[in-house]
Amino acid sequence: MVRSPHSTSDDLLVLHTLRSIGYADLARVSAAAGLTESDTESALIDLAVAGLVRRDPGGFGAWGLTGAGRAADAERIRDELDTAAARPAVTRAYEEFLVLNPEMLDLCTAWQLRAGDGVMTPNDHTDPAYDSRVLERLADFHRRADAVCADLSAALLRFRRYRVRLADALARARAGETEYVTDDLDSYHIVWFQLHEDLLATLGIPRH
Amino acid sequence: MTWIHPLSAETEETPGVLGGKGHGLVVLRRLGLPVPPGFVIGTGACRAFLRDGRFPDGLDAELTAAVSALEAATGRRFGGRERPLALAVRSGGSVSMPGMMNTILNLGLTAEAAAGLAAETGDARFALDSRLRFLSGFASAVAGEPVPDDAMRQLELAVGAVFSSWDTPRATTYRELHGIPHELGTAVTVQAMVFGNRDDRSGAGVAFSRDPNTGERVPFGDVLFGRQGEDVVSGGSATRPLAELAGREPAVWAGLLEAMDRIEGHCRDACQVEFTFEAGALWLLQVRPGGLVGRAAVRVAVDLADEDLISRREALLRVSPRHLRHASTPRIEITGTLDVLTRGLGACPGVAAGRVATTAERAARMAADGPVILVRPQTSPLDMHGLAAAAGVVTALGGPASHAAVVARAMGKPAVVGAAGLVVDVAAATVRAGGRTVPEGTFLTIDGTGGEIVVGSPRVVTAPADVHLHRLLEWADEVTGGGDGAGHDDAERLAAARAVLLNA
Repeated sequence: MVRSPHSTSDDLLVLHTLRSIGYADLARVSAAAGLTESDTESALIDLAVAGLVRRDPGGFGAWGLTGAGRAADAERIRDELDTAAARPAVTRAYEEFLVLNPEMLDLCTAWQLRAGDGVMTPNDHTDPAYDSRVLERLADFHRRADAVCADLSAALLRFRRYRVRLADALARARAGETEYVTDDLDSYHIVWFQLHEDLLATLGIPRH
Repeated sequence: MTWIHPLSAETEETPGVLGGKGHGLVVLRRLGLPVPPGFVIGTGACRAFLRDGRFPDGLDAELTAAVSALEAATGRRFGGRERPLALAVRSGGSVSMPGMMNTILNLGLTAEAAAGLAAETGDARFALDSRLRFLSGFASAVAGEPVPDDAMRQLELAVGAVFSSWDTPRATTYRELHGIPHELGTAVTVQAMVFGNRDDRSGAGVAFSRDPNTGERVPFGDVLFGRQGEDVVSGGSATRPLAELAGREPAVWAGLLEAMDRIEGHCRDACQVEFTFEAGALWLLQVRPGGLVGRAAVRVAVDLADEDLISRREALLRVSPRHLRHASTPRIEITGTLDVLTRGLGACPGVAAGRVATTAERAARMAADGPVILVRPQTSPLDMHGLAAAAGVVTALGGPASHAAVVARAMGKPAVVGAAGLVVDVAAATVRAGGRTVPEGTFLTIDGTGGEIVVGSPRVVTAPADVHLHRLLEWADEVTGGGDGAGHDDAERLAAARAVLLNA
């Protein structure tokens, strides 16, 4: 029997998005969660009333988790994992992620720095042949990364969003928006970094 | 033998066959330096294995013969109950691909052999530590296979795993990015194990013949007492400055200096060695010539010319204009009075100074009142707003290719990662290193090139008056007849001289 993937409620999705991406304004939270801004804002307000998230008083309008929000997320996301019987699939995908992660970081490092005469110098992006070689390898990497995200999405639907965001970052980078490799807040590396955090939080693994 | 070559002074194969590591060990043998006995399985066997999916004909028999020869040379039995022989199995192609391929140490420590090692040394803890290191190393390198309790079978699987690691997607990507041909294959160096974890007169380390920060002719590096070599590079343990060897193991220290002298004389360059000492006896495990960058490369080239190891012409050719551009990055001025808290690896060049914050939240808050250095065990996306607010970042864990390093470079923030022995205590709002406790708010300066983390506000120099650079450029002007080089920057003066020399 093929089980349909588990779908996460809006409020947990928004809570867990903040847990995975850190402080972010409404537009970034809604883009990362894959919800409309109004649905996202409505969920944020409910979560704020419950004391789980708060809006940065600094005036930049960024939302973040409170300590209670972090604890609530850990509990609810663990319950979801068990209710959906997704722990084996997510654990397997995390192991595959860990094989891919060093290669991702090599690719980002190669994008930022070039070795020449034994010296690492910043890549000034004046050599299109080199940059396109890195982007070709990133595209190859993405095929393998996407397969892992597909497995995750088959267990928990919310992981589908990473497929969309990673593919989008890659497409933009290949179309010449080179900040979508490592620099932009929606760059390939940042989305990958958030996926890393999401997997650790989902499986309840401390970072060290 | 067709596939296997002994690690001996008489072996004449090239780095293309032996790999850079294996070839370097043969050179050390020729120089009469202490290298654990062993042999190299050449790159040809790897190519055949990757093509056919099995060991080439004859390799099994050669492997058996080579192990027998090693047993005879060491007076030990591989996997034996008495005087067991343990092996170190290391990868190494002709072009360095650091960290990309597998290494399996303490191999052959079956349950029986480990018991034999415990009986021989009278140290059950040492034997158990070594066996556990083997089991975890084998399991991570030879995925999907239970660990056989037969030493020869362990060796075959380990060699196959090293061959296969040439073709992992990560290694393939690395070669694509660095223009290394895919068909080269890796050699496998197999040596009698020397145990840095043997006792308190044992240990392992990495040594440079000249200070890689300045190029000055003083030995520099890290040592770990009572541990095996992979603990030095993994960054998981707090290493000690190399010079501590002089007091604790004077014979090892003297042997190391003598060895680096001899290597320098042979290579006519600065060098870097990996070493282990077991019960007070020194062993060299790897050598790399050169490898110094920036100002250090300039100083080494000029000093080597003054020492008559190379000509002035050669000195000019050794320093690429890239080194001079690298040399113009702002650096903390290295003086004897620097209050160095600890060191890590420079991950994003530049100097940053500010007050320590141990969480992203505090960094963001404190940044309103002046620059902040964010110090974290490692970083997560939850630290992003703190990173954005900080002038610079330090992490205790991770390397130059970690999330923290990639993010710091993306934001252009000076960064030091993998800071040795650094403990971030968020609850107490302190940072500890080297027996010192530094409270949040303390002013620190970090150097994202050299990796120094300094208490206070040391002098920062951008293009220091550098007597060595000045002399090198004088030599350059003599070559070009370019007078005092007026109107040209340093890199241009050097590049012009190199053009003349290369076209002469």
